[in-house]
Amino acid sequence: MSAQFTVQATPAAREAGAVTQTVASLPETFGPVPAGHTGPADVLVVAGSGGWTAEAAGAVQSGARGIMVANPVPEDTSELAAVADAAGAVVVLDLRWAANPALVAEGSGPDARAAVRSGLGTASLLDSVATAPPGTDPRQLLSDHLAALLAVTGQLDGVAVLRRDASGYTVSGRLANGAPFTAQGVLTAARPAGVDIRLYTADGGVAVQVPDPDAAWPAEVRVTGPHGNLLLPTLYESAHRFAWRRLKEHLSAGTRPDDLAGFARLTDLYATLTAT
Amino acid sequence: MSHHAAAAGRPLGVGILGAGPVTQAIHLPALARLGDVLEVRHIMDVDAAVASSVAARVGAKSSTSMDELLGDPDVDIVAICSPHHFHADQVIAACRAGKKAVLCEKPFAMNGGEAARISAVSAETGVPIVVGAMHTFDPGWLAAEQNWGNLPDTAHTIRSSIVLPPNARFEDFATEIVTRPAAGRPDFSDIEVIKAALQGGIMGLAIHDLPLVRRFTPDFEQVEVLQARHVRPFGYTVSLRTPSRVIELRAVMNGTWKPEWTFEAIADDSALRIDFTPSYVQAGSAVATFTRSDGSETTSFGPYGHNGYEGEWRELAGLANGTLQAQSAQTLIDDLTFALSIAEATVATGAADHANATRTAGVSA
Repeated sequence: MSAQFTVQATPAAREAGAVTQTVASLPETFGPVPAGHTGPADVLVVAGSGGWTAEAAGAVQSGARGIMVANPVPEDTSELAAVADAAGAVVVLDLRWAANPALVAEGSGPDARAAVRSGLGTASLLDSVATAPPGTDPRQLLSDHLAALLAVTGQLDGVAVLRRDASGYTVSGRLANGAPFTAQGVLTAARPAGVDIRLYTADGGVAVQVPDPDAAWPAEVRVTGPHGNLLLPTLYESAHRFAWRRLKEHLSAGTRPDDLAGFARLTDLYATLTAT
Repeated sequence: MSHHAAAAGRPLGVGILGAGPVTQAIHLPALARLGDVLEVRHIMDVDAAVASSVAARVGAKSSTSMDELLGDPDVDIVAICSPHHFHADQVIAACRAGKKAVLCEKPFAMNGGEAARISAVSAETGVPIVVGAMHTFDPGWLAAEQNWGNLPDTAHTIRSSIVLPPNARFEDFATEIVTRPAAGRPDFSDIEVIKAALQGGIMGLAIHDLPLVRRFTPDFEQVEVLQARHVRPFGYTVSLRTPSRVIELRAVMNGTWKPEWTFEAIADDSALRIDFTPSYVQAGSAVATFTRSDGSETTSFGPYGHNGYEGEWRELAGLANGTLQAQSAQTLIDDLTFALSIAEATVATGAADHANATRTAGVSA
């Protein structure tokens, strides 16, 4: 039986999104364009480097029903959103850490977002560290980092860059209740790439560790309170695969995700920071 | 001035100035584990009832006078556990009394002038001084020091993060406290309260790890505070920078039961993380872990059987017996100068931040 949706990707997009191996894990749903097939594929994968919104909009206008964007950089998504709305196309963003299923789960499953947001009212401090290898563009790291933070925290106020240099960056701001938050980027090859988010509350807190999506190692979400230390169920699914599975659900159900609206908030925040 | 020689085979005598919770819950339990080498013989506190009660626990004499303790020939080592502003004068008096070694709880002075006076008296009298930066005596830290190679030269990022329950939780695991100070309800709208909290945060809490930070910061004299914020109910977030290092300090003391006290030094190709055990309880040493190659190679040291407080007392016994050499006074002065400069800048920056309600950017999700 052939797959339900055909997929096409440029070499750059294929590498950025680990497309081959990820699509291979959903073989009943996604597959390559058969030899001799003419016309656009059902799904086009776009690398998220500069200009990705225009490329994605062009693909929608050419007839693609689904767009997967691999690790997008902050860009104005309003035109793409309008084009996708008009065509009824599904645009899903495969974000390095923010797309991890432990951060925002399907349906009503337990996730980091619910755990963090339930603690924000009594928050004392949110402290986060993102790690990436030397040579990583600190601006891209900051974008990935902020995307993960916004996914779980919601409102961030008074955000400012304290420093940005060859070893990383430090960003600070305040949570909705006025408690401070800090986000530090550290460039090192001594540790695995990933993001660590710690929320400290009046009687405990939440610790979130999200790995890179190049393997299905699970994120860890631990909630500490008077009850003890609770490990949320571990999900051995990479951010890449979870993004593709969401694309499948929306294409199959004829529904639309809110990825672009969420990403617009990141773009706005990022623009504020890079302008200072 | 005369040194009082301990009788052969007899433990060294310890006298303690100040019998508050730290003495009761930290030093006495640590000393109880070292009874073959150290023996508490004299407890002084301005509250006679507290001095008497605490002394009775260990079969020691009690008094309300520093001079009486310093004049006690049974006391070989003096521990100064009084309020900070008494430290300098009491250290100097203990040195002049001809004791064999002095332990001073951190900070050992409140300014550079006091530190210089202490250094001069220590040099003149030959009495070794140990400052109670307990993590520098933790076997986990000492193992890291033996194995970190050139990391102090190559680390670009240093982090100290201290998450602790209220002290009473661990004090009550360690002993039965008498006369615990009453907890206040601070008014966080008062900028003076914020300034005092930040000063206390650096000189009372961060100072435990600032000597560790300084070991990885060769240009520590050029430290700059980028931002400092008070964390409620007690804590801080402080971002520092020198020309070659990034230093991040975090602390939260809230109602949690879960302590997490870490020190990290990170270079391009290697990193050190030390997980310290909480104070007060005898929970063994820190664990030091080195990582390389994206975290795929790790080497750990510890835990060992005792913590840094016991390590301090072992050091003091060695100094008093003449089997160990004292740390240089300049090291102690540099540690203090580093801490004072950070505290001063943190208070100024944190107070300005508190006063400035301007928000520079905002976003909602």
